[in-house]
Amino acid sequence: MAETLEYAPKTRLSQAGADRYIVEKEIETEYMTLNMGPQHPATHGVLRVELVTDGEVVVKATPYMGYLHRCFEKHAEALDYQQVIPYTDRMDYLSAMCTEHAYVMAIEKLLNIEVPRRIEFMRVIVVELQRIASHQVAIATYGLDIGAFTPFLHIMRDREHILTLLEWLCGARMLYNYIWVGGVSHNFPPKFKQRVAEFVKYYRPKVDEMMALLTENKLFIERTRGVGVLPADVAINYGCSGPMLRGSGVKWDLRKNDPYSIYPELEFDAVVPDGKLSIIGDSLSRHLVRCYEIYESLKIIEQCIDKMPEDPNFDPHAAVPKRIKPPAGEVYARGENPRGEVGFYVISDGKGTKPFRCKARSGCFVNLSVLPELAKGNLISDVVAILGSVDIVLGEVDR
Amino acid sequence: MSEYFDSIKKGVSSVVGGMSITLKHLANATRWREETTIMDDDNYFNKLNEGLVTIQYPSEAIPTPEFARYRLHNDANDCIACNQCANACPVNCITIESFKATPDDMEELGTTSDGSKKKLWLSRFDIDMAKCMYCGLCTYPCPTECLTMTPVHDFAEVDRANFIYHFSVLTKEKEAEKRAKLAKYEEEEKAKKAAAPKAAPATGARVSPLMAKKAAASADATAEAPKAEPAPAPEAQPAKKLPPMMAAKLAAKKAAAEGGATQTPEAKAEPAQSETPKAEGDAQPAKKLPPMMAAKLAAKKAAEEAAKKQAEGDGQSTT
Amino acid sequence: MRLFATIAPDALAASAAPVAADNAWVKALESFEVAGVPVGVWAIPAIPLVFIAVYALYVGVYGERKVSAFIQDRIGPNETGKWGLLQTIADILKLIQKEDVVPAAADKPLFVLGPLIVFVGAFAAFAVLPFSSAFIGADLNVGVFYAVSIVSVEAVGILMCGWGSNNKWSLFGAVRSVAQVVSYEIPASISILVGVMMAGSLSMQKIVMSQSGEYGILHYAVFQSPVAWLAMIIYFISALAECNRAPFDIPEAESELVSGYFTEYGGMKFAMIFLAEYASMFMTSVILSVLFLGGWNSPLPNIGPVALNDWTNGPVWGAFWIMLKGFFFVIVMMWVRWTLPRFRVDQLMYLCWKVLTPFALLTFAFAAVWELYVR
Repeated sequence: MAETLEYAPKTRLSQAGADRYIVEKEIETEYMTLNMGPQHPATHGVLRVELVTDGEVVVKATPYMGYLHRCFEKHAEALDYQQVIPYTDRMDYLSAMCTEHAYVMAIEKLLNIEVPRRIEFMRVIVVELQRIASHQVAIATYGLDIGAFTPFLHIMRDREHILTLLEWLCGARMLYNYIWVGGVSHNFPPKFKQRVAEFVKYYRPKVDEMMALLTENKLFIERTRGVGVLPADVAINYGCSGPMLRGSGVKWDLRKNDPYSIYPELEFDAVVPDGKLSIIGDSLSRHLVRCYEIYESLKIIEQCIDKMPEDPNFDPHAAVPKRIKPPAGEVYARGENPRGEVGFYVISDGKGTKPFRCKARSGCFVNLSVLPELAKGNLISDVVAILGSVDIVLGEVDR
Repeated sequence: MSEYFDSIKKGVSSVVGGMSITLKHLANATRWREETTIMDDDNYFNKLNEGLVTIQYPSEAIPTPEFARYRLHNDANDCIACNQCANACPVNCITIESFKATPDDMEELGTTSDGSKKKLWLSRFDIDMAKCMYCGLCTYPCPTECLTMTPVHDFAEVDRANFIYHFSVLTKEKEAEKRAKLAKYEEEEKAKKAAAPKAAPATGARVSPLMAKKAAASADATAEAPKAEPAPAPEAQPAKKLPPMMAAKLAAKKAAAEGGATQTPEAKAEPAQSETPKAEGDAQPAKKLPPMMAAKLAAKKAAEEAAKKQAEGDGQSTT
Repeated sequence: MRLFATIAPDALAASAAPVAADNAWVKALESFEVAGVPVGVWAIPAIPLVFIAVYALYVGVYGERKVSAFIQDRIGPNETGKWGLLQTIADILKLIQKEDVVPAAADKPLFVLGPLIVFVGAFAAFAVLPFSSAFIGADLNVGVFYAVSIVSVEAVGILMCGWGSNNKWSLFGAVRSVAQVVSYEIPASISILVGVMMAGSLSMQKIVMSQSGEYGILHYAVFQSPVAWLAMIIYFISALAECNRAPFDIPEAESELVSGYFTEYGGMKFAMIFLAEYASMFMTSVILSVLFLGGWNSPLPNIGPVALNDWTNGPVWGAFWIMLKGFFFVIVMMWVRWTLPRFRVDQLMYLCWKVLTPFALLTFAFAAVWELYVR
């Protein structure tokens, strides 16, 4: 037990009262190694976490990943620039649009293409719809991790509408290949904008209901409040991004801090927890950030619909280059994904139509690396709560 | 102490709040989702507010939009075997084999529905739908709009081999026959060529009859014609394939330039217009669709039916 | 045999028109023999067993699925038979056909015995449940006490399952479960004592009889004392925990422990554990309604000449009322399950020892004073 006592202060959790689990000092105990995953309902895919536990208290947690490694970067080197886009979809399959957007921005930077303004609005609308859908999954599965099953299905009911909208837009429900270098694959269908506006109006009360059923539930708050507190300095040192970083109180949102597309023209907030309901940096904060970001995304979509330039003769392929053969050079472009910063570092040797190197920076992967830090000294149930609040998609972690 | 009672109070009130929400849903379970589609129902979101939302899948389904990207279909009669789709495919799921048609077969080979001439017999056009990742990249470069993605999304198979869809105009016997004919024809050509240089010294102008016809066919593609290399070596087949493709492309380009929504040269335009009447109210839709897309839409219906016929034993005609 | 209520003159003094529990059906069955074989005696335990099976199939599994489906805006089972009514039959058929797998590394005797003990523990309590004024398996004078104690046997079975599976997750589940069941006995028992105190007896039938009267629902224990409702709620919460139902389902916490102590079980062994869960749900619901909600007494009052209470009392009506009350609480349990997230182990213990137990003790003390000096 002595070792556990050593571990406890190290976890920086004493401020959140995480040393509450250390009860006996005299009893001789042995550590038990417990494999969580890769077949485990709470690991959100094929992640394996090796837990060293003392009773139910986790002494050490080591995530092992790579079960879903699909060689994205190597694939990209063998494919034309535009052929890589479907592969970026499959990285973070819950926010395909956002990943596409980041990749396409990199290639556009490489080619120095100016994208029509209307295209930018279209992209932002779909990306924000996708962000809502992605946060919906994150919130829903988080509820599932905590044991609330019903909000999951209520949220899925509403997510269905977003997927239907996007299918209507581009023909695919999850893996869109919608955002192209220099354009998008399809123009908005006739009443699409109107329908999106209706969706925003429809969805607001549903978020409120979801908040009342899940987020404001005392049991849920008890399960997540003060669990897995990630101080801001640690979050920054680990390179966390997205809701993980904002949950720790750092107001860092690439849409604000490194603006791209038309985000500078739009009015929205980078959500950080106010510390009233949650302890800043804990699992509940991260959850709250996602909840409130849904409202922000709805706001963004509304503004985009209002501001989007109308053009009846619009051709979404107008600026699409016929053949992508960028000059030699290298670029890094990044976007704010629902799960953190996703960036593509692309090198072109100027000789061919294939990237010489395409490195993907994944938000989930970096966020997941904090898990050992967070899990120490917590119960197994808390590890599940923490892992859920990190919100990983193994497709992106392993790539 | 007050914290203690406070937390009990909060616990009770939030539990009661949650229970009342679920009770509301339980009470609403007598109501069902109405049949509606997001595409053309202005009341879509008002209809789905409450009640059961399950869709009993095999017996009912959410309608897929017209240009949904699911099963691929190739209209083999329109295919000029240009191989662009196979090149665009990131996963190499399209396999195309073709061979030249002899000049006397040009009648039989016919033209594509947009009028461009075909030069090649399509002996094999296989799409392995098990490999396909539904990105749709193959459908965009297609010069004759014959390769399309259909809204048929439910085509599970027991055997993986059944996922390989064969689209080809030739039967086995016919293929053998045509190949033999080609071999014979090439033989003759060779013999002629062997004889020719002696009669007249080779010049750039000297082209085989086939090449001559080709040049005639791509009349407006004169700029490209010189590119068709003068040396009529039989092994230079891929190069020879190029001109008709270019011609078709040019034709398509011309069509695109001529009129956004009218798209006269494209033979498929008639069904296309009848297919997209919904769009007429709004100025956007017709414009939105470049000719390519409109033609594609038109092809869809036909494609679907053909696809259904084609996929033997495919019991679920869910669309 | 008396099927409809008549007013028994020698009723308890407190009630104006009580219904006497005469266990007539049990007595009739006891003397029923076919060619010297005491078929009737065998039938007495068989009745609750058959009842559990039917109830677990229809109210338990089917009801749970439908309730959860409706709460979640789904339809639930609806393909197998009309409204999916045959779904549970199909499930049972599937479970029966399944291979009876014992993991190689499992402790075989414990692994096999565990589910049996869990089921027997839950089932044995049915012996003292008053299904009607004319039917109770055994009208023990310590009926409630028996029920409370026999259910604890389940904990042993659960531990056997968890330990015998030789699976770390199962072990966690089992250990959690035992800790939980043992802890929650205390608030449960104390709140049961409130009801027992008010009735003045540990016998189930006597407790029920003490709550009959012409005003129907007004004679129920829950309205007889200002704190009885609190005891009822505490018992209900503890009952949820004892049945390992959400939000106290940490022993089988799906997202944490996969399936807890029955991770390794399949086929009929799994069905037994499953059946035991639903059986104990019904059992606790019936105990709750016996103690606080009048058991098989009709809730309807006599209003002058319209003697609703008299008309709706009697052995058959009694069976109807107690089933209704039992099923109602089973459905409430489902409703709770599909609303709330799960507790964590320490919060569960906090709730038990720092909230429910003190409140139960206070209730107990207040009820005692009330019984002594007021009522």
